[in-house]
Amino acid sequence: MSGAWLRAAALALALLLAGWVPGEAARRVVSLDLCTDQMLVLLAPQEIAGLSPLARDPAFSAVARQAAHLPMVRPSAEAVLRLHPDLVLAEPYAASLAVAALRTLGLHVLTLPDPQTFAAIRAETARLAHVLGVETRAAAVIAAMDATLAGLPRAAGRRAIVLEPHGFAAGPHSLAGAVLRAAGYRNAARGGWLGLERLLAHPPDLLVLPEAPGTPSLATDLLENPALDTIPRRTVPAAWLICGSPFAALAAARIAAR
Amino acid sequence: MIRLLLLGLAVLFAASLLVGAAGLGVPAPVILWQLRLPRTLLALLVGAGLGVSGAALQGALRNPLADPGLLGISGTAALGAVIAFYWGLAASYPPALPLAGMLGAGIGAAALLGFAGRAPTSASLILAGIGLSAAAAALLAFALALAPNPYALSELTFWLLGGVADRTLSECALAAPPILLGTALLLRLGTGLDALSLGEETAASLGLPTGRTMRRVALGTALAAGASAAIAGGVGFVGLVVPNLLRPRLGERPAALLLPSALTGALLLLAADLLVRIAVLALPLNAEPPLGVLTALLGAPFLVLLARHLGR
Amino acid sequence: MIGVRNLSVELGGRRVLDGVDFTPEPRQVTALAGPNGAGKSTLLKALCGILPRTSKLDPRRIAYLPQGARAAWGLTVEEVAFLGRIPHGDRAPAPVARALAQAGVAALARHRIDRLSGGEVRRAMLARVFATEPEVLLLDEPTADLDPRAAFAIMRLLREAAAAGRTVVVVLHAIELALRYADRLVVLDRGRITADGAPLSVLPAAAAAFGLGFGDDGLPHLLPD
Repeated sequence: MSGAWLRAAALALALLLAGWVPGEAARRVVSLDLCTDQMLVLLAPQEIAGLSPLARDPAFSAVARQAAHLPMVRPSAEAVLRLHPDLVLAEPYAASLAVAALRTLGLHVLTLPDPQTFAAIRAETARLAHVLGVETRAAAVIAAMDATLAGLPRAAGRRAIVLEPHGFAAGPHSLAGAVLRAAGYRNAARGGWLGLERLLAHPPDLLVLPEAPGTPSLATDLLENPALDTIPRRTVPAAWLICGSPFAALAAARIAAR
Repeated sequence: MIRLLLLGLAVLFAASLLVGAAGLGVPAPVILWQLRLPRTLLALLVGAGLGVSGAALQGALRNPLADPGLLGISGTAALGAVIAFYWGLAASYPPALPLAGMLGAGIGAAALLGFAGRAPTSASLILAGIGLSAAAAALLAFALALAPNPYALSELTFWLLGGVADRTLSECALAAPPILLGTALLLRLGTGLDALSLGEETAASLGLPTGRTMRRVALGTALAAGASAAIAGGVGFVGLVVPNLLRPRLGERPAALLLPSALTGALLLLAADLLVRIAVLALPLNAEPPLGVLTALLGAPFLVLLARHLGR
Repeated sequence: MIGVRNLSVELGGRRVLDGVDFTPEPRQVTALAGPNGAGKSTLLKALCGILPRTSKLDPRRIAYLPQGARAAWGLTVEEVAFLGRIPHGDRAPAPVARALAQAGVAALARHRIDRLSGGEVRRAMLARVFATEPEVLLLDEPTADLDPRAAFAIMRLLREAAAAGRTVVVVLHAIELALRYADRLVVLDRGRITADGAPLSVLPAAAAAFGLGFGDDGLPHLLPD
């Protein structure tokens, strides 16, 4: 009984959306995840129908200030449906139940992988821009990012480690690893849990830490352990290292600065 | 016996300074003083505090299964500490952390020892403790879910199982006074606990009324176990295992078990922490296993054996 | 000198003792008898000073053995005896050795109390009482659950203590023990003293308290309610 109802509703929706072919400029876009939130705000803020709640959290979002004035939607299929979006953006492994439901109901859902290198960032930004119809704007953003990266000093062979909460160190294949390389440092860590003692046994020339959140936890307080005071450090807004986006170039610039 | 325990402590203390993720042997000064020394001192303090608390609780409740963790006192202590820590009270006033732990432990101990006065059977006491422990753990998880920092909930295992890794010397300095004070208090209760072993009426007739002894046990345990849980999380089973290990060797008089339990508890926890570090060196682990995992691996089978032995 | 004057005690809404006057004498074994619930244990506790709101007495001079005294742990007989020194704040070995000998458990000194027979446990507990070297001994049913020989042995020890100058008050159910070993028999019934004197002369009143009377044939019969 309810199955038939759903199929009827899906058909109605499909007819309604038939006029909108993906590839042409979309007008109402919903994003379900932080990384797609940031890209959407960067590239096409005028097309936003709803962002995920994390977009407003300054501890995680590079666009928190802008997102405060933009509409927010909870990542449930029902809430998204009510907004009648033309396009839904999500990451491959997040909100998967909502994504599956929305696909069943005939919505166009685009899953974007989270790029971990600057080459991937360029490629994904261009691809999303094509879908949203904002190629010119994207080109400008990419150009600005490349200009920032080009101005950074060449590799000097100094070792750095990006230390994350709980004592994990970013490995070479992570976004943070790519940022270190762009900033002209050699990543002294292999990734995974490092722990303070192993870090201090072979201390790097520079320690990169995410900015302390305003609230305490054992994981984030660990980065303030006085044992680390002997190593030169640079803090970077955590949001710049979480998602693969042009903001990562700002992180590289901050790290490379004298 | 005491000399033997002190010798063992000296050996493990030295070993603890020489073993770690950076390798065996004397490490760089910053590692030695800022990482290995704090965890060594904390293992000593917490082990001693929990050991003597277990011995005192067993004497006071006349029950070999009594233990601050099993009876929920460590759980209520951890709950107090979590509230003080994640809502920034400890950040603005560091002593708030051990104080909150002591307050939580005090409430738990008072509730439990008050209940013990009305429920003389062993089974109902242990049940009350399990109930208190479960309630405290549930509230703890709830508090962590509400905490403002998103990493809070992932730290549930620390608060339930405990650990001494990555603590600072200033945190040791916060934990040391209440743990030492509580331990000193409990060590002086030997006569009262001995008198209690003949029953409450006899103890009163010997000039040592039960109420006074119980209150002091509650206070000492609140100080020692409360501050321990606030800094090192809910390490369990030390207070249970240690006195029962010592009884066959030292006799069953409660007073005779107090100091040896403190020393053996310190020894046990130091050894467990060493094992944790050796595990990290020898196995490809994702993170350091919590200390409470090792004490539980030792303590849980011990508890089963003890229960069977008592049942016979 | 210990004793109570016009003592009334309420426990749990029930009047357990009603206007009781009782002063035990030194060099005497005073037996307290009466039916269950008559208030004997409460009277003993009042004499000892451990009831709430009674004046505290010097624990070095009084020793109390409650009903069914047990040790919570597997202490040795010697360790139990040493607990008697707690009021004196010492672990003097001489009084303890004397107490063990007096109670006849010196040979069992190193044995765990939870591995002994009922009579031996009782005597070990008595050793604790003796170790205090008290002037007053208050014992609540020390002969309960013991066979006649063990019971007689306990009573003989108490007689010896009285002969040595102590004040001994003992709660008994077995009237024959009182007849044989007590100098004075006090009968308690429903919170009141109904008889007090030499055991033989008090016997009819004691029996009446238990609902028994003695006929001309010398045999007990049940009294009408």
